[in-house]
Amino acid sequence: MLEPFTLPFVQRALIEVLILAVGAGLLGTWIVLRGIAFYAHGVGTASFPGLVLAEGLGFAAALGALGTAGIFAIGVTALHGRRRTGYDSLTALVLVGCLAIGVILASDVFRSGASIETLLFGSLLLISWQDVAIAAAATVCAVAGSLVLGHRWMAAGFDPESATALGLRSKVPEFVLLALIALATVSALSAVGALLATALFVVPAATTRLWTSRMRSWQISTVALVAVEATAGLWLSVKTDAPPGATIGVLAGVVFAAAALTRALPNQLRRHAPVAASLALLAIVGIGCGSSDAGSNAAASGSAAPIVVVAATTQIGDLVTVVGGSEVKASTILKPNSDPHDYEPRPSDVQATADAKLVFVNGDNLDAWMEKIVNESGSDAKTIDLSLGLPVKLPGESEGAGASKFDPHWWHDPTNAEAAVLEIRDSLVAVDPSAKSSFDANADAYLRKLAVLKASITACIEKIPSADRKLVTDHDAFNYFATAFGIELIGAIIPSQATQAAPSAGDLAQLSKLIESENVKAVFPESSLSPKLADAIAQQTGATSKYTLYADTLGAAGSTATTYLTMMAANADAVVRGLSGGRQSCSIAGL
Amino acid sequence: MADGIHVAAALGWLTDPWSQPIMVRAFVEVALLGVVGGALGCWIVFYELSYGAESLAHSIFPGLVIAALLGLPLLLGGALGVLVAAVAVFLAGRIEKIGRDTAVAVVVTSLFALGVLLALSPDSPPGISGLLFGDILGVTDSDLAMAAVLAIVVLVTLRLLHGRLLAVGFDRSSAKGLGISATIVDLVLLMLLALAILVAVQGLGNLLVVAVLVGPSATARLLTNRISSMMAVAVAVAVASGIGGLYLSYYAKIATGASIAGVMVAVYLLVALISGLRNRSAMTPNSATT
Repeated sequence: MLEPFTLPFVQRALIEVLILAVGAGLLGTWIVLRGIAFYAHGVGTASFPGLVLAEGLGFAAALGALGTAGIFAIGVTALHGRRRTGYDSLTALVLVGCLAIGVILASDVFRSGASIETLLFGSLLLISWQDVAIAAAATVCAVAGSLVLGHRWMAAGFDPESATALGLRSKVPEFVLLALIALATVSALSAVGALLATALFVVPAATTRLWTSRMRSWQISTVALVAVEATAGLWLSVKTDAPPGATIGVLAGVVFAAAALTRALPNQLRRHAPVAASLALLAIVGIGCGSSDAGSNAAASGSAAPIVVVAATTQIGDLVTVVGGSEVKASTILKPNSDPHDYEPRPSDVQATADAKLVFVNGDNLDAWMEKIVNESGSDAKTIDLSLGLPVKLPGESEGAGASKFDPHWWHDPTNAEAAVLEIRDSLVAVDPSAKSSFDANADAYLRKLAVLKASITACIEKIPSADRKLVTDHDAFNYFATAFGIELIGAIIPSQATQAAPSAGDLAQLSKLIESENVKAVFPESSLSPKLADAIAQQTGATSKYTLYADTLGAAGSTATTYLTMMAANADAVVRGLSGGRQSCSIAGL
Repeated sequence: MADGIHVAAALGWLTDPWSQPIMVRAFVEVALLGVVGGALGCWIVFYELSYGAESLAHSIFPGLVIAALLGLPLLLGGALGVLVAAVAVFLAGRIEKIGRDTAVAVVVTSLFALGVLLALSPDSPPGISGLLFGDILGVTDSDLAMAAVLAIVVLVTLRLLHGRLLAVGFDRSSAKGLGISATIVDLVLLMLLALAILVAVQGLGNLLVVAVLVGPSATARLLTNRISSMMAVAVAVAVASGIGGLYLSYYAKIATGASIAGVMVAVYLLVALISGLRNRSAMTPNSATT
């Protein structure tokens, strides 16, 4: 039952949550007492511009987040004086200001931000010892602050007016409290992310508040409850193979709801509360033990077992599965239905990486988070960056120190896919030479299909008059496709890789004029993004936005684009239909 | 002569953005939701509901996923999600010793986490969290129609409840003596907020919704005490900032939502600075306390 805690990355996560529990539980009571949950939520979310700056200028992300959080704390304290604006409105205003700056930095200054979202979301399973050290430092500060300034915070919390009358008007204790909360939430970002930090910092303290009023017992019970909820959530997440942050969030919410309902019951019924609590605990254990154990089923590996291989993206996963055949057990980290930008890995992903012999990544910053999974899972797999040996490389468009030199969407050119297939074949042969004939045969058969694909798409595109071969897409993902098949790229609607980035009215106006003057027939929304902007542009310019492209991932099960070959064929068909005004199509046989 | 050329150039500069249908729609959406944000926002600021204005949008997420899994219309799921969240915030906020902000944190954290877990189902469609979040430049006709309906519903409801909102906001206990139920007032206000978020998020995006609900009304509160004049000032500030932000985005080529939100925050800071300086020079030590 306790075997999840034998996994090294789960042990480190456990240490992290137990350390965080002390700081979060302690500060949580002050947050709930003072009613500043919004601040606790906002200060983590506001780290967005700091993270963009850190990536753009090339300094440590933690420093960027901490810097913004400090500015946030100073901003709220400075504005909260004798002005007639409540703390919550101020928090909202400072938060909006920070986020607006972040969006502008990501959209208009650095035009990058591919790896920022992973920092905003974070994962308990990918904690480094450095993260643990930062959490420990934040917790020590929180404990020290509570010991020294606790009575001042309490006086102001229970009765702000008499505290003012007593001369406790200094802003210093207030600022220290806000700064400590900022430090602690930022230190928890890498573990639970900005949106779920409140699961540790607010929900447990609110739960214990229902049962106790005395400050000391409230604080102790909150620290204990955070520790228990986080440990149980971690255990449950490994047992059910769910992301730990969200599991802890749901668990904390359920415990709060149960506690609140119990209090609402009449006294006679309330005596049965311990029985109900034990039943609930049994149910949780039942859920955990009833599920397949993500930790152990991947761990079994004998001598005749297939080679365990991990692929970062869906398209690479497909290529690895085809070349490896039955000799390889391939796991893909990104799933077709998950947004690569807000993806939190599941325990089985980390476990598969820990067991893997080979890890294939896309490279060029598209999947920089994979490096973290490899490092923190304790894996000794060989990582193969497929972007390094490609025949066709196009320049990247993002700017700043952390930006990639090259456009990462290389797989949209089948010539590059051929090179990737050869690289995958050779890497697999190096691990298991005995299966060389099988890998060779699989790769050869696939290369023939790639040749068919390339020739067929070329033939389809050539039927379109060259004046009509003009492409406008949702974001800059189709440079390779356009270059490979002789299509002119007119522009893209979203000027950046980051999902938080947004176009400006001026850019869209310019793009619309260009579409009209160049007489572009179609703009193409992407399968994983909202089509609204593309629809609006289409409506204004008279182009069509009916045809959707697959940009960053393969299609989900049930779509026509579940493999690399069918995805490319679907894109080619969409482009041909769009550019020919629906008069032509492109169907490719023999894939 | 030269003056005429300058005037013509200035007029051209002013009218050029509105030759594009996308910009005209963005303008109408900003104006409609500026009215909603200014009027409703004054009560949001007065009742200290800014956290709800910022975070309730996240509770649309689990509703969307459930609707997608059950094959129901997504908008219905989103609406149910945000209304359930509003009721849950209302109930949790009634618990003794749990403040409104803490209630929002508990409800939104739990629901968002639930959405994340539900979205792991292989049947949930890709990019679902983005499905209900719009961009001001991608506003559709149905967005505009919904914003217009929302504006009417919000204004009528606020007009009908004006006296009660005022009485409860100023003094809950004496409102009870007057026979006004704080419970109903609180619940209706949260429902209006939930509705406004559901509609506005699709047209404006999450960032801009918070900005429009809080920024102009906080600015108006610095300038006037009477709630009705506060609402008028807030609406004017919201619409003017919206138009200013659109011009900024058009000519300086800055991301539109961020540029409008940035103008709203900048207007607040400017007014706060000026009123702070005026208070200081007037030497009235206890003039402006909440």
